[in-house]
Amino acid sequence: MVEERMNTDKMWITMGPQHPFSHGLWTLRVHADGEIITDAEPEIGYLHRGWEKECENRTYAKIIPMADRLCYSASMTWSHVFCKVAEEALDIEVPERAQYLRVIADEICRIQSHLMWLAAVGTDLGNLTVFLWALREREFFLDLNIRLCGQRLTTNYPRIGGVRNDMPYYFERDCMRCVERFETVGLPEIMKLATDSSPFVGRMQGIKYLTAKDVANWGVTGPAMRGCGVDYDVRRDDPYDAYGEIDFEVPVLNKNNPKGGDAYDRFLVRLEEMYQSCEIIRQAFQKLQSIPKEAPSRVKVPRCIPAGTHMAKIEDPRGESIMYLVSDGTEKPWRLKVRSPIFVNVSSSKHMVDGVRIADVPAIMAMIDMCLGETDR
Amino acid sequence: MGLSILDWIVFKNPMANEYYPFGDMYNLPYEIGYKLSEIILGFVAWFLNLFVHDNLWSQWLVSDVVMNVLAIILLVVVIFGVGFIVNLTMIWEERKILGRLMDRRGTQIGPLGYFQCLGDGLKTFMKENIAPKAIDKKIYWWGLALVIGTSVLLACMVPLSGRWFIADYKVGLLILFGMFALAPFLILCAGWAQNNKFSLIGGMRAAELMISYEVPMLIILATSCLLAGAYGINDLVQFQNDHLWFVIPEIIGFFTFFVCAIAESERVPFDLSEAEAELVEGWQTEYAGMKWGLIMLADYFRGYVACAFIVLLFLGGWAMPFAGTDTWYAEIWFLFKVCAVFAAFVWARGAFPRVRTDQIINIGWRVLMPLSILNLVVVVAIKLMGWM
Amino acid sequence: MPYKMLDKYPKKFRGTGIITPMWASLRRTFLSTIHRSMTIMYPYEKEWVPDNYRGRPGLIFDRCLGCGICVRACPTTCIELVEVADDDGNMVKRPQVNVGRCMMCGYCAEYCPVNAMTTTTDYELAEFSRKDLIYDPRRLAFEGTNEMMEVHLEEHLLSNLAKGVTDQPTAFYKTDRPVLEEKKCISCMKCSKVCPVEAIEMVVVGKNDKGRDIKHPKIDGEKCVSCENCVIACPKSALKIEEVL
Repeated sequence: MVEERMNTDKMWITMGPQHPFSHGLWTLRVHADGEIITDAEPEIGYLHRGWEKECENRTYAKIIPMADRLCYSASMTWSHVFCKVAEEALDIEVPERAQYLRVIADEICRIQSHLMWLAAVGTDLGNLTVFLWALREREFFLDLNIRLCGQRLTTNYPRIGGVRNDMPYYFERDCMRCVERFETVGLPEIMKLATDSSPFVGRMQGIKYLTAKDVANWGVTGPAMRGCGVDYDVRRDDPYDAYGEIDFEVPVLNKNNPKGGDAYDRFLVRLEEMYQSCEIIRQAFQKLQSIPKEAPSRVKVPRCIPAGTHMAKIEDPRGESIMYLVSDGTEKPWRLKVRSPIFVNVSSSKHMVDGVRIADVPAIMAMIDMCLGETDR
Repeated sequence: MGLSILDWIVFKNPMANEYYPFGDMYNLPYEIGYKLSEIILGFVAWFLNLFVHDNLWSQWLVSDVVMNVLAIILLVVVIFGVGFIVNLTMIWEERKILGRLMDRRGTQIGPLGYFQCLGDGLKTFMKENIAPKAIDKKIYWWGLALVIGTSVLLACMVPLSGRWFIADYKVGLLILFGMFALAPFLILCAGWAQNNKFSLIGGMRAAELMISYEVPMLIILATSCLLAGAYGINDLVQFQNDHLWFVIPEIIGFFTFFVCAIAESERVPFDLSEAEAELVEGWQTEYAGMKWGLIMLADYFRGYVACAFIVLLFLGGWAMPFAGTDTWYAEIWFLFKVCAVFAAFVWARGAFPRVRTDQIINIGWRVLMPLSILNLVVVVAIKLMGWM
Repeated sequence: MPYKMLDKYPKKFRGTGIITPMWASLRRTFLSTIHRSMTIMYPYEKEWVPDNYRGRPGLIFDRCLGCGICVRACPTTCIELVEVADDDGNMVKRPQVNVGRCMMCGYCAEYCPVNAMTTTTDYELAEFSRKDLIYDPRRLAFEGTNEMMEVHLEEHLLSNLAKGVTDQPTAFYKTDRPVLEEKKCISCMKCSKVCPVEAIEMVVVGKNDKGRDIKHPKIDGEKCVSCENCVIACPKSALKIEEVL
């Protein structure tokens, strides 16, 4: 009798599209047995803008500001990867000064993107202080963006064959001050609330171990993959621009650990990446000293790209981003395909949240650092 | 009675009233209410008397019965008004301290941003009042009303001093605590009635929380009463004034009770039942508009009561060192202490993230429970040795 | 390069539990009470932005040629050329910007051959209607325009770089010129009519069978700004931009 009246099924909970944990518009439907999740199903597509199709009606130069709009916090790397695929197609070598400028701009972008992520982790775990402190530090880097290219987020800085403009006066001084402040004062203060706080760490430690094999099979890239023991970074393994001449360490945790990494490892990898980015910026400025200020930072490129297919990949703050270009020899691309790291990462969320509690879902998904602009395109 | 208004408004001693409800105890808000009702009723009676000399209505209006009834109504209004203003002050305090903590400015409207919560209340009031179709109507509305009602009642029942109380029970602490512990049950009901999965889980979590925190809290409460030898709030405060604030002998209990009080008032490190990161708004998800606003207000009333508990049990209540319990500023001193304890609540909110359900049960049973029993052992030892 | 913090935070938790976050937040509370907090009270005080900030586009009216390069460079097609009276009362073509559509990419300023289009530091653009968002050429003028707001296009030719010449920055409007495929030309003179800088002169190159003059355009390389108006206007596609690389 009781069984007939009481429906004791597991329930589907729809987290999203307007849900505080989903940064952006996407839905994670979880099948919950009480508080334990047994199954999950990500649903995306709420933000589909037809980006790839729109590009087919734009000349190559006009696609660069559109590539900024793929992801609000990684705009520099997205326009960079588009410029790279166009240069690949034209077979053009970028001037050395422009290469270093791009590296500096990319790393500023990486730091501010990771700070946005740190802020999001703070709200996901319920601490608004981390959110606001991280955003405070991010403002300094956004100010650097304004100085360098005139806008905070939609930078529109790289160009096919170089960069938009050379650095402004005193940019090196401002940048080094900002980086030093960040390394010695800014990030350590936030880390006192995060890595030094046992309630904060307790929310992430031991949550959902993912093995290197699984992560590699799902195609997860970026810090989420390096935290689980896969030692791969495009900047080091397939160096582009000036990354080959810069000495930096790729943070990898649990390299030989058969158990894999938990959410806390994926958290730590991103923090260390911010420190390494500071180091890269410092070295890039040192290398820039030897290049004269009048050296070219942009070359003139033809409007039309010869017919053929080309591919370029760079290390986005969120993972490996690839653009694939099919050109028919006109001044507009015939097809431009984007491989977004988050699209692949989020498709593995079904396995990532399997068997955890509902309260752990924000902690796990925060480590992916969702950005829906590039996922839905 | 003459034609002069001063014949009608004479400001009698309220304790001389035949129906004075508090026996031989002086009650300040009652006196305020009594004075106000004398002014109101005396004026009306005088006015009627101008037309019909020596009429019965005027005589009846200034009689002891009518005066007492109106005085009691005004007493309730005064006590609630003070509680409400304290509540608004605490909301303002929280937002301002959190603002400083997060390196921003906090509220802005009015002097030092004090009127921001009035503005927010107005805004919430203008929201559409939505109730979903498939709810369990009776429990939905009664749960809401009881959550708010018990919280407000509770806040009114907290005495601010020996002369500022609504009723003086010999077992005052137990009654307060009983009312305090009622809220999670009502939250469970309200969460169930909303026909929403998020609010259901939120309600379940509230019950989970109640089980793991009520027990250590009650043990510590009983320990304090054991130390004072009484359940009455007045006796407890008087005992602390005569001997020592309980925060010193019961230092373990103080910190344990502090954690429990945060959990009991469902504030951020332990606000599992309304964890917005995973459960949207927890058990309040389907309460839209002013319903939500009133729930938030009730939350702060409960926070106020939790702080008042800490002050009464450990920090000597309204007792001022070297001045005793009968000072003219006793109420202000008590509320100051409450706000200071609340600042520590806000501090904890700013510093920590929300804990998980399994962690909260672990902390409750494995840490706080043994600590509260250790506290009991210490107090029993003190009592046995006869130190206090 | 060694790790900077990863070695300090191995698998085992080494923090001090709850003391450090409590202390850090208390410290920040006192600091932001004593000093001013980081936030800017926006409507009352505004953040300083450098002159190279990319706000809405601005226009220096007298410099503009009306060539339409900005129209074609705009990714969102928010610019269009309209006829307005200049200071002498003559009707001239000038760009009008729909700021509601503008994405502030700065391409119009970057590609402008005479630096008439500029970026401005104006970013407060809210209006009550969409119509108000359309900035006509006169309204585009921005008070306090200075030379930092101009964007100078400095490209280097690959051929120059191969020769080792690195100090001759140029731009497409200095190098690229239209060339004529003479067989296709029908002497319609449309190209000379649309040229904004009057760089095209029709030269008589002979007589046709009926005895009329055959006129071909002759392009003055000094005056030309490579705006492609002639290329677009040509009904027989006889003109083509020749890119110098």
